[in-house]
Amino acid sequence: MSKSKQLTYSQALTELEEIINEIESEEINVDVLAEKVKRATCLIKFCKARLRNTEEEVKKVLSAIEEIPEADHGGSK
Amino acid sequence: MQNIFSINRTTYSLCELNNIIKSAIDYALPDTYWVIAEIADTKLNQKGHCYLELVEKEDSKTIAQVKANIWAYEYRKLSLKFQAVTNQSLKPGMKVLFLVAVTFHEVYGLSLNVKDIDPSYTMGEMALKKREVIERMTKEGLIDLNKSLSLPIVPQRIAVISSPTAAGYGDFFDHLDNNPYGYKFIHILFPALMQGAEAEQSIISALRKVRQKRDLFDVLVIIRGGGSVIDLNCFDSYTLASQVAKLPLPVITGIGHEKDDTIVDMTAHTKMKTPTAVAEFLISGVRSFEENVTEIEDRIVKYTERLIKDERYTLGILTQKLNFISIQLTASLNSTIDGIEKDLRGNIKQFMQKTAAGLDNFEKVIRLLDPANVLRRGYSITQHKGKILKDASHLRTGDIIETMLFKGMVKSSVIRKTKEAEEREQEQAVDLFSGIDGA
Repeated sequence: MSKSKQLTYSQALTELEEIINEIESEEINVDVLAEKVKRATCLIKFCKARLRNTEEEVKKVLSAIEEIPEADHGGSK
Repeated sequence: MQNIFSINRTTYSLCELNNIIKSAIDYALPDTYWVIAEIADTKLNQKGHCYLELVEKEDSKTIAQVKANIWAYEYRKLSLKFQAVTNQSLKPGMKVLFLVAVTFHEVYGLSLNVKDIDPSYTMGEMALKKREVIERMTKEGLIDLNKSLSLPIVPQRIAVISSPTAAGYGDFFDHLDNNPYGYKFIHILFPALMQGAEAEQSIISALRKVRQKRDLFDVLVIIRGGGSVIDLNCFDSYTLASQVAKLPLPVITGIGHEKDDTIVDMTAHTKMKTPTAVAEFLISGVRSFEENVTEIEDRIVKYTERLIKDERYTLGILTQKLNFISIQLTASLNSTIDGIEKDLRGNIKQFMQKTAAGLDNFEKVIRLLDPANVLRRGYSITQHKGKILKDASHLRTGDIIETMLFKGMVKSSVIRKTKEAEEREQEQAVDLFSGIDGA
């Protein structure tokens, strides 16, 4: 959906699912586990933060919308 | 002019003629009649009377036309009844079954006075029309086109087509913005008229704008709510519905009605009853994504905790084992060392005792064998030429020998040698002495 380099929700979720599958396959040693958990934590934080903070996204949308003069910025209310 | 009167023909005043027409019509058409007609125009005057222009068309050519009216009292009743059934008001383009009386007024001419309306006819007509649109959309693959798009996993950027003044729109973003989870939604309004004759074109032009910016959005929401339930028929239009179908964004409707779904509802990806329900739907979409993430988080935490606990347990067992082994080892070493020490002590004591006893003996023997003591006991040592004499055979008569006594020395000369037995006795004594000497 997003064209930017920024991680999308679905990419994050896919990666998280991969990590949990790997972890739960129990074929992972403690050192790798630490690495995976770190990455997962990072992804989870990203998702949860982005669900609640969209300022940047709003700016992007609004600036793009301004090209359509009739559109009303209802979301900025 | 006089000629005309002179013919003596009967003449009527216009009023008289119109009265004749009126009575003729009253005579010929005394009853009321059910008539199917299309409304070409409708006007409501200040007194509340409704004036209609009714037509019948054949291939879009008018083949019959007549005026009609519904008196205010009747109109109030009939329009309510009609709306209750059809969710629509009487308007041009609509085919209606009227119960009419044919009237003729001296001034206003021929007109149908509407006594009743059968809304089920219009319903049937509308249903037929709607069915035709559905059939066409189905045949063209449009009815399920929007449904084939998948909903985004997080519907966070929302294009909204609504009327900015609609109560439903306010409800919608109030609900979204005040969601209990603190999610932030981006919702941009593309304003449109949601009812009336221009609604269809207005919504289509808003759809076009959304289409241009489709990359900015996850979903399009069409909401209309809060207003009256009538005038929904623009949402049954083929043109509008096909535009909705072709939009490359999932469309969610909240058009706000309880009756049959409109074709736009059917075409949309997801149909909700009200704008608030649409907001709920979007929030629940985001919520379910977050729940997914949280579930994975829980699983990771649980698994990691378990693993750490397991490892710690194993470590604990190893530590215990190590402790136990080292205690055991120390204990066994200690006891070995103790044993050795004890043995060592015992041995040393024994050794010392043995040595002491040996020394005592030695002393005794030495004392016994000390030549002084031997001499004291009466033995003597005889030397010849400085050598101890042990064998008499070495002597000759006249040899000088020296005899050492316990006290003093004697020099003598050999007179004669005695028997061998005596010699042997002497020999033994000398041996004893020399043995001590050798020790």
